[in-house]
Amino acid sequence: MTKFNLPQNSKIEVGEYYKDKKNSRNLRKVNIYRWDPSSDKNPRIDTFEVDMDNCGPKVLDILFKIKNEIDPSLTFRRSCAHGVCGSCAMNIDGVNTLACIKSHTDINGELNVYPLPHLKVVKDLIGDLTNLYKQYESIQPWLKVEQTGEEKIELNQSQKDREKLDGHYECILCACCSTSCPSYWWNGEKYLGPAVLLQAYRWINDSRDDDKKARLKKVADELKLYRCHTIMNCTNSCPKGLNPAKAIGSIKKMLATS
Amino acid sequence: MEKNKNPLSPHLQIYRWHVSSLLSISHRIVGVLNIFIITLISIWALYLLFGENKYELIRIFLKSYFGKFFIISICWTFSFHILNEIRHIAWDLGYGFDLKVAKVTGVLVFIGSFILTLVFFLVGKYFI
Repeated sequence: MTKFNLPQNSKIEVGEYYKDKKNSRNLRKVNIYRWDPSSDKNPRIDTFEVDMDNCGPKVLDILFKIKNEIDPSLTFRRSCAHGVCGSCAMNIDGVNTLACIKSHTDINGELNVYPLPHLKVVKDLIGDLTNLYKQYESIQPWLKVEQTGEEKIELNQSQKDREKLDGHYECILCACCSTSCPSYWWNGEKYLGPAVLLQAYRWINDSRDDDKKARLKKVADELKLYRCHTIMNCTNSCPKGLNPAKAIGSIKKMLATS
Repeated sequence: MEKNKNPLSPHLQIYRWHVSSLLSISHRIVGVLNIFIITLISIWALYLLFGENKYELIRIFLKSYFGKFFIISICWTFSFHILNEIRHIAWDLGYGFDLKVAKVTGVLVFIGSFILTLVFFLVGKYFI
């Protein structure tokens, strides 16, 4: 049964308030979701007053500033800081995006930062994506060919066929789309979710792949694929501007016409 | 298992609504409502068989303010569902997935549902 409410141990409490101590002029309130696995307490929202006159333009800059100057225990994932690795995916101002490319000047009022929705929290802003990675593995995201390797022939691809992969291969698996999808919230165990389906489509669509039919057959399942109801939260949230909803629609169309 | 004790991050509570997600959920709710409404219409039709006296009850209901409100609401739920369903058919055919297009068609469906309601009402009032 679908649970719309948060379980008892996940109810969010009011946390601490970190007042600015340097009499900064340009202050901004930043509310951040915190949960410490070493304590038995419920998650809480801490509010930080951040001096915006000495802060970089991105949300990730704010997080670093808090970690460096206010509370070093603040935990979040980040790596490249250029929107290429997908580590710093989180829910900012109600929409999943990458903290490193989201400009905080685009957001009015207080800044709310949460981990990606409907995941088991590991600590603070880090969610557990094990399930998503397992699903990604299940679609076998690698080239499957009948060649043994002994033929020593290159697998050529025409420019036109290569273009078919545009808009799909750019996915960095940040999980913004999958964790924005209500269908994935309620059926995450079975429904593959937009990120994995976009990748499934990428491999179905690859002219070099010899396993297209089996791939399609595998994904054609009431729960795996057809839980997509075109809510389009995925496309709305993708920080790379890709369109998972369209990819899923294309798989559905392929199945209907083949 | 210790892992399962970890809290679940907030979802519906914090996620911002978009045009597309709002229309999606209202499409479902209106769809369920329409099932009940069709049942009611069937019962209404059934009363025709019971003769004039029984049908008078329905007539009194429809003449009342609530009855009129009810009929106009029905016009809206059906208009909305029909128009949004056209949008879904376009998606099934592979069109209209572009973010801007999906947003514009969504707004059009919402505005269009009221216009269609008005058309239903006026046609019903003056031509039938």
